[in-house]
Amino acid sequence: MGDKLTREEVLHVARLARINLTEEEIEKYQFQLKKLLDDVDKIKEVKLDSNDKLIAPVDEKTVCREDEAGEMLEPEEIMKNVPVSNGNFVEVPVMINE
Amino acid sequence: MADYKKTIGIEIHTELKTKTKIFSNSINGYGKTANSNVNVIDLGYPGTLPTLNMEVIRLALKAALLLNCEINKEMHFDRKNYFYPDNPKNYQITQFETPIGVNGYVEIEVNGEKKKIRIHDIHIEEDTCKSIHYKNHSFLDFNRAGVPLVEIVTEADMHSAEEAMAYVEKLRELFLYADISDCKIEEGSMRCDVNISVSKTAELGTRAEIKNIGSISNVGRAIEKEAARQINLLESGREVEFATYRYDEKNDQTIIMRVKEAGNDYRYFPEPDIPYVVIDDELIEEVRSTIPMLASVRREKYIEAGISLLNANKIIQNRTLSNYLNKFLDSGIDLVIASNILLGDISAYLNRTDLELDDTKLTDAKFIDVVNKLSSGDLNSKVFKEILDDVMEKEQSLDEIISSKGIKIISDPTALKKIIEEVLAENTTSVNDYKNGNTRAIKYLMGQIMKQTKGSASPELVNKLLEEELSK
Amino acid sequence: MSKYLDLSILEINGLLKEKKIKPLDLVLEAFDRIERNSDLNAFITLDREQAIATAKELEGKEVDNLLFGIPIAVKDNIVTKDLRTTCASHILDNFIPIYDATVVKKIKEKNMIIIGKTNMDEFAMGSTSQTSYFGAPHNPWDHNKVAGGSSGGSAACISARLVPLALGSDTGGSIRQPSSYCGIVGMKPTYGRVSRYGLVAFGSSLDQIGPMTRNVYENALLLNILCGRDDYDLTSSHRDVEDFTRLIGEDIKGMKIAVPNFFVSDIVSAEVLNKLNEVLDLLKKNGATVDYIDIDYIDNAVTLYQIIAMGEASSNLARFDGVRYGYSVENPVGIDELYSRTRGEGFGEEVKRRIMVGSYLLSGENAKTYYTKALQIREAIRKSFLKAFEKYDLIIGPNATTTAYNLGEGLDDPLKTFLDDILVIPVNMAGLPGMNVPMGFGKGHLPIGLQIIGNRFDEAKMYKLAAFVEKELNLELDPREVR
Repeated sequence: MGDKLTREEVLHVARLARINLTEEEIEKYQFQLKKLLDDVDKIKEVKLDSNDKLIAPVDEKTVCREDEAGEMLEPEEIMKNVPVSNGNFVEVPVMINE
Repeated sequence: MADYKKTIGIEIHTELKTKTKIFSNSINGYGKTANSNVNVIDLGYPGTLPTLNMEVIRLALKAALLLNCEINKEMHFDRKNYFYPDNPKNYQITQFETPIGVNGYVEIEVNGEKKKIRIHDIHIEEDTCKSIHYKNHSFLDFNRAGVPLVEIVTEADMHSAEEAMAYVEKLRELFLYADISDCKIEEGSMRCDVNISVSKTAELGTRAEIKNIGSISNVGRAIEKEAARQINLLESGREVEFATYRYDEKNDQTIIMRVKEAGNDYRYFPEPDIPYVVIDDELIEEVRSTIPMLASVRREKYIEAGISLLNANKIIQNRTLSNYLNKFLDSGIDLVIASNILLGDISAYLNRTDLELDDTKLTDAKFIDVVNKLSSGDLNSKVFKEILDDVMEKEQSLDEIISSKGIKIISDPTALKKIIEEVLAENTTSVNDYKNGNTRAIKYLMGQIMKQTKGSASPELVNKLLEEELSK
Repeated sequence: MSKYLDLSILEINGLLKEKKIKPLDLVLEAFDRIERNSDLNAFITLDREQAIATAKELEGKEVDNLLFGIPIAVKDNIVTKDLRTTCASHILDNFIPIYDATVVKKIKEKNMIIIGKTNMDEFAMGSTSQTSYFGAPHNPWDHNKVAGGSSGGSAACISARLVPLALGSDTGGSIRQPSSYCGIVGMKPTYGRVSRYGLVAFGSSLDQIGPMTRNVYENALLLNILCGRDDYDLTSSHRDVEDFTRLIGEDIKGMKIAVPNFFVSDIVSAEVLNKLNEVLDLLKKNGATVDYIDIDYIDNAVTLYQIIAMGEASSNLARFDGVRYGYSVENPVGIDELYSRTRGEGFGEEVKRRIMVGSYLLSGENAKTYYTKALQIREAIRKSFLKAFEKYDLIIGPNATTTAYNLGEGLDDPLKTFLDDILVIPVNMAGLPGMNVPMGFGKGHLPIGLQIIGNRFDEAKMYKLAAFVEKELNLELDPREVR
């Protein structure tokens, strides 16, 4: 156990979150994440009478919208914020999986 | 190698036929300029939240009912978290804990044998955006992002390519008929993923997933190829790898896409932005009432009415015609004649004019009149052809059209009998030929009678009376 | 320079109606005050040009509501069309939204004038606003102290009288705690009262936008125009809009008040407890009853918050990936590098820590062990609160265990920021409304705040008690008069 996570554990969560870490950060987070995770572990000890859960504190049920079209954006407006665009398309480095 | 048993499960994604997307009110449509059917919600802009399209709930519920599922009457959505450029929020809103329908089944028929394929669940989710790859880049078009989908997951209940194909075909037929989706597999509005394993024992083998197969026949081919590949591996003492494949049609083989990580970590959790959706009995009944008669039921009814299997299938393939014919199922008219003119002259007219039945002046009353007159001989097919355009285009009743054309129909058997007797008396040679066994002579006699009546007699009636006379 | 912004909204409204002043006078005065107090670092982005243009446009319009022409500051996690919205993060420091949040639309419809975007903790993650990419705002009562967080900039600019109105957001105390530290009135409404559409999500089931103002009445005025059903937010309530000022001024005789024992336990400093006891005596003297009660699992609220807020945040912040908007690294090799480097460079330390922990808590079996369990305890807390409200009108206690502390303190302790919010988090868990009204000063003349918690949709009753306390204590809440 100890007071810090292993380097691999930190790299695993960083990978899950798609966050690149510097060496310095990895070291710092080994301690910090451990401290946080130990703290939330307290929850395991809590005893409950009911399994009811609360997803969001809302009393009302969802009221759906009817199938009617609203306003859409012009491609030019979208591209204003896009870091790399190509004509009407958003460009990214090739998606390796497919 | 015949002792290997295939085990197959299928996941089908189908786009729902709505005007707008599932979580935003931008248009659900194809063929538009890239990134033109898009708003800030589809792009996953900071601060945006989902709304929920009622039509999606209705169509998904309709699908769940068609698949004989139990309905989750209090359902919520879940987030499936994974990073991918076609996934704008880097989480997909789907249903994980409370799919709209569970524990259903679909009945298929293969080689005359009926079989139930169990449905594990049907759930609602959003489509991803479309990407085009070129060299080292991918180009994203968010028009498809947020298009509503249902995913239907079977149990691993199929054991042959034929069963798998029959299942996909059946699902397609169901959804097409109920107007849930346009089910265009080639265009990607219906997508099939097939899980397949082979084993000699009761224990299942390692499965492979074949993604996104582009046609029903390819579902069959891909299964055969993949099964053969797996058997080959096992026979040569190797192991099947838990992996994802695609089917390469050109080379007729399955190609590996990626080896599956043990347990994908999608970090599912309930979507807090969409509170519980309640599906009450009222909604269920409302949606159930919109389910049209299914193809299989139609076929049965048509054949019961005496329509040939060939014609029954032809009509079923054209849902507008079939729906039209169904209006008269209990009207007492001759459905064989009705189906014949729908498939024949009326279809020809619609093709020629590029019109729909709804656009014509053919009222239900007029149609019944046409069929009844054809059946009684008050109208014959030749005359019907002549007046077809008027029937379809004029407000007039059938009687008005017939009389305005100056066409007289001889349907009085006594009057006809007289003409027949005269013709027979003038053509004794032919009569004798017929009686001596030359059945073709009757054709000549028919021609003579029709000539005498100037085509105003019903051929069916003349034929009947003529045969009666000749057999005297 | 004029001093119109020291007047009450009602007085300003009168002057505008009589055409003795123009909206432009108010706008120019606000920018003058901001400039002279730039060391507070209350704002990230100012919108001088547009604000002046809007003020001039308003000259031709009828003064048709009490908030007409009043300058307002908006927390920088609420999107404003064509006005940079950064969430105090490097990853959005070039982001110009292309739509308005629903609350921003409402503000504009009432012809309020947006002056600028206020400083905050990065993505609202923090309790001191020190995680801001743009540096921390300072506490107007003592520039060496934190303003609190995450709505620190909004609290500081109200406290220093730079503008009369501001919007904040509260996920785990982010309106109430800085309001307490800065001596202003801040309301976190009932979850669902105000549309979240356009609030950059942190913890979706906890977030709520609310008004931050100099006094109770003006707070209720601003909430009046913020709330109402929004079809773009499925969690927003269909309840009718009401006038939240309607009970202000009524006496509190017969009011049943409860104080959770947890709120007066040894986690709270003596000077805060003393002030609370003075207020309790005042209430009793005026005919209210006070009982001490237990709320089940209230001591677990911080842990639940860590699990739920970090879990939701890890998913909500996944969209910042350098593809469609915001910061994006140049020439990445492959999509994974685009993601990892953009997020590694774009997010600050606290945000990265929370996203990583949140991802971990949702992964594999942890989702059951931690997340589902947290949702179950959350339901138990909610039920316990609702049960208390069957008997009591309001629940009260302090908002913070201490007064504002020194800038730079506790930055390396990942737990401190959560413990700062130990008294304000339970309210978010249950989706209840909670507010801060100043109740006195502690050592170094730093403000101490009273927390008032109501039943769901009971904000009007909370304003009644808050207005009573405000009137009876009659504190000098303008730091310029004291320093």
